[in-house]
Amino acid sequence: MLTDQTIFMTTGAVLIFLGVFAISYSRNLLKTIISFQVVVFGANLGLFASGLGSSSNLMANTLVLFSIVVGGSVEAVGLALIVLVHKKYGTLDPGKIRRLKN
Amino acid sequence: MPGEVALLLSVALLVTVIAALFSRSMSMTLISMFYASLVVGVIFTIYQGILIGLLHIIIFAGAVSVMLLTAVLMTGETDLGIGKRSLAALLSAVTILIVGAASYSLFSTLPGEVSESSTTSVLQFIWTFRPWDLLILVIIFASAMTVVVNLLSKEQ
Repeated sequence: MLTDQTIFMTTGAVLIFLGVFAISYSRNLLKTIISFQVVVFGANLGLFASGLGSSSNLMANTLVLFSIVVGGSVEAVGLALIVLVHKKYGTLDPGKIRRLKN
Repeated sequence: MPGEVALLLSVALLVTVIAALFSRSMSMTLISMFYASLVVGVIFTIYQGILIGLLHIIIFAGAVSVMLLTAVLMTGETDLGIGKRSLAALLSAVTILIVGAASYSLFSTLPGEVSESSTTSVLQFIWTFRPWDLLILVIIFASAMTVVVNLLSKEQ
């Protein structure tokens, strides 16, 4: 029986897979941040789906709330770092950014 | 009927995410991520998670999309480079295997035997000290914004 919980948990797992794949695949830091956002989406969906079967899903909603706030904050800091890296090195290719000191 | 709605929303989410991740155009990526954020928010809202659905749309479809657009405009990067596909597939498969094994070892009990009370008792403090929970969220968000302002401020 294909329930909503199963569907959303599978979708969350697929999103995490796609995000990790794209993080490894991309050579642009902006694309890496976008891929990280996809991983956060998958984690949020999985957490939310884990609470669908029970009568009270307040616990899952709280965890998703934490995840949303932390994910948004991490992405904001990551984007600010990317802008700084581009100002300093002139590129967003991680392979060309070799000197991390100074 | 509800299963069909879930399936439809999941397919829409996967299509938008794949379009975002595997497109070479940055504008296409940003637009697709915006729609993916909206779809996730709609999923939360439809399945009785109105608060987190709205919060998800506000943060990801609103704030993060604007920040991504600002970063693209500031850096001028529109070409999305492509790395080694086989290595990426191997790394992601290994990651999924590790996460799957860890999840199986953690949640290997049968669905009927999952005791809600044990989890609730462990995390009971969240509901007992609800203001602390909200305070922690505010501290996390404020500290992240402080870091962003510090990073983007000019050096004297």
